[in-house]
Amino acid sequence: MAIINYANKEVQFKIVYYGPALCGKTTNLAYIHSQITESNKGQLVSLATAADRTLFFDFLPLNAIAIRTFKTKFQLYTVPGQVIYNATRQLVLRSVDGVVFVADSQWDKMEENIESFRNLEENLARQGLSLDTIPYVLQLNKRDMPNVAPAHYLDFLLNDRSLRVPSFECSATTGQGVFDTLNTVSRLLLVKFAREAEAAATVRARPTPNPMAGIAAGVRDHQTLR
Amino acid sequence: MSPTPIVTLAAAEKLLKTLEEFLDKSEAFFALVIDRGGTILSQTGRPPDGADITVLAALAAGSFAATRELATRVGESEFNALYQQGSHFHILMNAADDDTMLVTIFGKQTTIGLVRFYAARTAEQIAIQMQELRAGVSDAPPIFTEADLNAAGQVFEDIPPKP
Repeated sequence: MAIINYANKEVQFKIVYYGPALCGKTTNLAYIHSQITESNKGQLVSLATAADRTLFFDFLPLNAIAIRTFKTKFQLYTVPGQVIYNATRQLVLRSVDGVVFVADSQWDKMEENIESFRNLEENLARQGLSLDTIPYVLQLNKRDMPNVAPAHYLDFLLNDRSLRVPSFECSATTGQGVFDTLNTVSRLLLVKFAREAEAAATVRARPTPNPMAGIAAGVRDHQTLR
Repeated sequence: MSPTPIVTLAAAEKLLKTLEEFLDKSEAFFALVIDRGGTILSQTGRPPDGADITVLAALAAGSFAATRELATRVGESEFNALYQQGSHFHILMNAADDDTMLVTIFGKQTTIGLVRFYAARTAEQIAIQMQELRAGVSDAPPIFTEADLNAAGQVFEDIPPKP
């Protein structure tokens, strides 16, 4: 959940890149890190195995636009994709605000995509969260590879829900679609944040009904009937 | 899960004062309050040279959460603190409540006993302050509206030209 800091005039969000092993989550963060200006990015931290596979998470803090007087900050995380690291994925998902599900477009990865997507739903549910309420987008990665499934097929597999979310054809190695994905999920997140704050303010602005008024009216009606 | 706190100016000053008093008494040189997602709520003191505090906070949150999970899985329900002893710098992490932790970095100028003693007390104070913060969440005014957001343009302006 977002954190508002009035002292620093900042609002911070956490976005998690989720998906099967070797789908390109870390490559997404590496590309974003390579393109953002120095003043708007922190260090890209990767907790990886000797074979460069994500062990715990990758982490990239970013500064984004200022809205009115508040700076927006985003912390991007990846989860380890390998099945054995599910406990770690649950830890990384704590306090998540938005999700990018990175799917591997290659035909032979369809089962892993579905398994990872279900795993995301399960792990969110453990925190009392759901894809019906949390902003997320689909990224169809590795479109530059041979033997990829058509985008509409991946959409059918992973986006056939009552609420269809934006999906992007990407190649994280070349950067195609990487920023479209990031900008869309962060905007969805900011819109949700603004709407919830406005709705809460509207509720507070309503006059509080006098709880005794109904009782008094009931007593009057009862007396009239008698 | 507890509601996320909104750090008001008054609350930020109170947290900072608590941390400053802690550093003064414990003789540690850096203290940080973070939430369980790794977001910084308050900090004071002098961090080690070249340390990126945002990264430090994310790693501390991850490390603490992983060790707590490990403790749970071996049947230990009590897990309040984690200590890393180095040759120059030592790190002590204390849980303030389920969603907040205190991270302290100190060196040879003090002792783990002294830091641990004051850190435990400070963590209790922080827990009370966080309770007060969360109680005030519903009164916070919106900091921006959807119209402000639409007027602001792209969230990330550093978008490179499409390849």
